[in-house]
Formats: sequence, C-alpha cells, structure tokens
Amino acid sequence: MRSIAQVLIVGAVCLFSTPAFAQGTSGQTDTPDPSAQQLRRDLEILKEQLRQMQEKIRQQEEAIEKLSAPVAPPVAAPVPAPPAAGDREQLKQEVREEVMRDLQPKLAAATKPFPSQFNPAIGLILDTAFSYRDHDQANFDFRAAELGLSASIDPFARGYAIISGSPDGLEVEEAAIVTTSLPYNLTVKGGRFFADFGRLSKFHDHDLPFVNRPVVLDRFVGGESRADGAEVSYLLPIEQYVTLTAGMYNKIGAENDRIDDTVPRGLGQFTYLGRAATFINVSDEHSIDVGVSYAYTPQVVIEQKAERHLAGIDITYRYVPLSEAGYRGLVWGTEVLWNSEKRPVGGFPTEPTVPPPTDFERRNAWGLYSYLEARLTRRFYPGFLFDYAQALDPGVSDTKAYSPYLTFWPSEFQRLRLQYTYLDSPGAHENQFFLQWTAILGSHAHGFHDR
Amino acid sequence: MKHFALVLLSVVLMLLESHAGADAKTRVVATIPDLADMARNIGGDLLEIKSLATGVEDIHAVPMKPSFVTLLNRADIVLLVGLEAEHAFLPGLLEAARNPKILPSAPAYIDCSVYVVPLEVPTRIDRALGDVHPMGNPHINLDPVAGKDMARAIADGLIRNYPEHEATFKKNLAAYLATLDVAIARWQREATPLRGVKFVSYHPDMLYFAQRFGMEPAGTIEIRPGVDPTPGHIVALEERMRREGIKLVVRERHYPAGLAETIAQRTGAKLVELPVMVGGVPEARDYMSFIDYNMRTMLKVVQGG
Repeated sequence: MRSIAQVLIVGAVCLFSTPAFAQGTSGQTDTPDPSAQQLRRDLEILKEQLRQMQEKIRQQEEAIEKLSAPVAPPVAAPVPAPPAAGDREQLKQEVREEVMRDLQPKLAAATKPFPSQFNPAIGLILDTAFSYRDHDQANFDFRAAELGLSASIDPFARGYAIISGSPDGLEVEEAAIVTTSLPYNLTVKGGRFFADFGRLSKFHDHDLPFVNRPVVLDRFVGGESRADGAEVSYLLPIEQYVTLTAGMYNKIGAENDRIDDTVPRGLGQFTYLGRAATFINVSDEHSIDVGVSYAYTPQVVIEQKAERHLAGIDITYRYVPLSEAGYRGLVWGTEVLWNSEKRPVGGFPTEPTVPPPTDFERRNAWGLYSYLEARLTRRFYPGFLFDYAQALDPGVSDTKAYSPYLTFWPSEFQRLRLQYTYLDSPGAHENQFFLQWTAILGSHAHGFHDR
Repeated sequence: MKHFALVLLSVVLMLLESHAGADAKTRVVATIPDLADMARNIGGDLLEIKSLATGVEDIHAVPMKPSFVTLLNRADIVLLVGLEAEHAFLPGLLEAARNPKILPSAPAYIDCSVYVVPLEVPTRIDRALGDVHPMGNPHINLDPVAGKDMARAIADGLIRNYPEHEATFKKNLAAYLATLDVAIARWQREATPLRGVKFVSYHPDMLYFAQRFGMEPAGTIEIRPGVDPTPGHIVALEERMRREGIKLVVRERHYPAGLAETIAQRTGAKLVELPVMVGGVPEARDYMSFIDYNMRTMLKVVQGG
C-alpha cells in the first residue's frame, strides 16, 4: 500500500517536473524568465504537498497497523444497558449540535446580510381612469402613481411615506412617524399624515369604495384630510373599543386653500381636532362603527380672522358572514358633516386681479354621503352612492349626485370599476361615466384603519 | 356639573378596576381555535385563553374587528400559526392594539410554525403566482404531526415568558403529545384507504393532511392561491380530472359550495366538505376531534359511505 502510493506520487511529480525542468533549461538566459520562476515556485509547492501527503500516509498506516494487531479475546461483554434519560438527552443534544454544525454553513449563506436588508417595504399603486362627462367630454385620466414606503424606525417608532406622482406633479401625501411603544395605550403621530377626521377623508383616492371622493368631503374637508401637525390617540383600557384622538395641525385638507401650509402663524390660527370612535358588535356577523369628529380653527385669516367649525358623525354598518367573509357581505357607510365659517357673499374671486372681498357673513352648511355596497362574490361588488352637500358660500344652491357602480376584482391586487354618476350641481346637470383601473405592485399591508 | 364629573370619574374608575381585576391569569390570545386548544392543554388553569377566529372562517380573511383590538391590547401572549397565515388581519390588529409586549419582535409573540418544515416554499416570489406565501404553505394545522410541533412551540414560548411554570408546561406538553401520538398512530392505520387517492381542492389547504396520510393533491379550483378561477381554468381542470381519473373534490367549508359541486357533478367525482380549523363544524370541538372529523369524513367519502 505504502509503496504503491509512493510510486504514484513520485510518478506524478516526475510528470509535472519534467516539462517544468525542460522549460527551465531551454529558457535559461541572463534575465530570468518570469514563467520559469513561476514554475519553480509551483514545483516547490508541489514538493511540499508531496511531503505532507507522505506524512499523512505514514500516520494512517500506523493507525491501521494498531487496529489490525491481534488483541486479547474479548471478555463476554455485557449487553449495554439502555442509556439513562439524562444520557439520552445528552445524546440528543450532541446529535442536534452535530446536525446544526453541518447545516450552519448553509444557514449562514442563506441568511447572509446584504446592504439593502434594512430598506423599507416598498409598494406602488397605479390608479388610472377613463372618464366621460356631458360638458367636459372624454379623457384618459392618469390619476396617480403612489409610492408607499414603510419600516420600523427603532423599538419605539415606525415610519411611513406615501409619495404621489400625478398630473399635478410629485407630492408627499404622507410622511409620518408613529410611536409604537408608549405607555398608557397612547400613540403619537407627527409629520404629514391624514388627520383622524371622519372615515373616508382618511382614505387615499384609490382606496375609496367608489371612483370619486364624495362631494361633501371634497367641499368641507378639502379632499383627503391631509395635515401637517401632530396627533395623540388613546385607546381606553376597557373591554369596549373606544379611541380618543386630539390633534393640532397647520390645517386639515389637501385642497383646503384657506390657509397656507408654509406661512408661520399664531397659535390661534392652527386647526385643533378631537375625535371619539367606538364599535358595537351586534353579533358575530353584524357590527357598527361610530365616530364623531370636530375640528376647530380659532382664526381663519382670509375670513376676517373669524373662527371655523367643522363637525362630523360617521356610521358604518357591516354584515360579514364569518364563514363566507371572502365572498359575501354588505357595507353601509354614511357621514354627515356640518361646517360653520365666515364666507364672502358670492364666494372668493377666482381671478387674482379682482380685489379681495369685504362683504362676509357667517354661513352654516351641511352635507352627507351614504353608500351601500354588497359583496356578491369574491370578484363582484356592486354599490350605490348618494351625495348631498350645501354650498359653503351663501346664495349658491346645493349639490346632489347619484352614483351606481360595480367593482370587479380580478385578484386582490387589481381592480376595475365602472361608475355612472348623475350630477345635479349649480351650473352642471350632467351624466358622467367612469372606468377606473387600479393595481397594487409590491408590498401591501392590510391596515386596521382601511377596513 | 360637579355631580356629573364625580359620576363620570366613578364610572371610569370602575371600568379600570374591572380591567385590573382580571389580571390574575396570563391572558393568551390565539389567532385560531386550534392554538387556543393546544394552549389550554399545555397551560391549564394558568392561562385565560381567547381565540380571534371562531373556526368557520378562512384564515386568510378573518374580519378585523375593533373588539379584537381590545383583546390584543390586554393580552400577555399572542399565539399565531405563522408562515404569514394571518397576514390579512394580525399585523393590522397588532398595529392598532398598542401593546408593545406582543409585537413581532417581543418574546410574547409566539410563532407556532417555528419547528415545522414548510411545504410548497416558492422558488420564485412573484404575484403572477397568486397570493403566494413566501415562507411556504401555511396550513400546517391540518397535519397532526405538525400539530405536535405547534404544541411544542407553544410550550417553549410559554416557558420563555414564564420560566417559573416550566415544569408544569413541560409535564402538560408531554401528556398532550403522548395523547396525540396514540391518536396519530390510529389515524395512520385508519388512513390506509386514502393512500394514493388523488383529489382537487378549492385552495391548497389540505396539503399537509394529504402528505401525512398519503393522498395526492392534484390541483386547485382556484387558478392560483387566493385568485378565483377563470372559466378556462375550470375547463382545463375538469379535463385533467377526467384524464387522470381524479374522483374526489374537497371543498374547504369557507369557500363557495356551488362551483365545487358543479365540478364534482360534471366529472363524476365525489365531493367532501371539510373544516380547516377547530370549530369549523360542531363536531370539531378541539384539535383531536377536528383531525378525527376530517379523517372520518374523508374515509367515509372515499370508501363510498
């Protein structure tokens, strides 16, 4: 055995060394050839490896000789007793450790960190529609592409941002920090976010159950309840679900143009909010969410520094048969809003060249929306929306709208919606048709407040 | 006004007191009744256990109720199946519950899938594959052997949080596992007629059950997990069933009956309706009777009863 191995190794060395030597001699010049030097180094390495292998073979042969040496006849060995419980545990532990040692390189490779590992979850929502209006004719409306980012910040807070690109440009819709570990059931939110006013004013446009935001929310709140500010929310530590929210903001409403977000102001010119919300579990299948909201702005500068009140009540009834929740159900959602502020008679001028109005009077207005949506299958959700809103300005008549719609979900991540609206508003009595197409790419989360 | 304030204060104090009074036991909230039953066997009287789902729901579509928020707000422990089975409701509820004790990074967040080797781990993560679960098929509770792993994860989680009760939890776990072992051996014997039986189910809920008892999943009514079928998919599925002699359709009870019945009728297959959780039918009172019910019902249908 030993001699065969030696012969093989010596043969291998000869085979390798012959061409190396030949090259070395033929290439001998005054200036050493670099490739020859490399070959010499390789030869040295090879020789060293040969020496190590011979040593290893010698050691193995010694070990074999020891094992094959005649040994004293074995004394009748007793049948080993089954290991005691403690031994079994130790054996299991040893086996476990051995297996883990074998697996560890693969596990380490699988869990190898990479630079973007802590990047936030990213999702993109595409929202587009084809619209036809009697007066405005037809158009393909690119509504928005919303990029959503979210991640934990540290053990005490999380953060998220919604950046929206639309025909109006690129805009930060939300970018907020939310605490996660405050005591006493408190949560604090700061930055730009949707203020906790009502229900659907906190929904992004693409999340609404119908194509367009109800008139009363557009008019009274100013679209989405976007606000730059801070909010504290408290969950009462009782069995009944009750939350209380208090907030302070520059203003509420993405399209609320009464107040400029960028101009510093006195404390009396901020908007202050209070909200209480609860939930009534009528049975396993029937439930009602109720909330009341109130936003108060002590001084609205462009309205002769008069105060503004905006109050609302929202009620959402849900029928969700537990065993059929994926494809059956009914939602009835209603919000009633009341607004009181000083408005110029005839409204604010739309032309900047016209001098600012001087004739103001306090105007109380109210409005509501109510919709009923059925879930017939996992794919088809028909619904009907009714809108009513008084004008904010005195002397302008009310607006009503009636909108049957049908939502079709090819999957959870894609939605088509067909809606007809009959709009009855001052100066516009028209039919409107919409076909909306919305898709979700990437990360998506089922948020509690998007229910 | 003063009287009103006093009355209000008294009511608030009473409510807070009633809340504090319930502190004697460790409050455990399980996402599904299977975990609640296992925890009851392991924790006994030390735990006060509630389940969010009643058992009749689709685990991917448990409605997020505000009443769940208050339960989780007061929980000491949360038990979940894991593998993102509860993706549609648990993360949202935890975010609203304001209870840092049970957030995913906390020791009281007990993921019961940690010892289970998942099946159907996707090699590609792409929504074109449907609502895929990146960590694998999460319907582990239908396999009683995985059930043992889940019970072990519960016991380990409880010990991690309450080491002072380690002996009790270990003793109860051992007794529970021993009972399960006896039942598993019986189910294995009983399952002989199921071996090699091919079936179609609405959603891949039955994968672990099938693997355990030698059945062969041969397709789903859904075109992809979480995506309802198209007419073309149904036609192709029925053709395949006829071609391959697939004679069994499983409808998980939270999916619509009509389509599964129609497919079974058109292909001459038998239809079996099964719960996917404890509480899914009145007979599935606990984890043992749940597996037992599924086994008996499946056998009855396969054997032509």
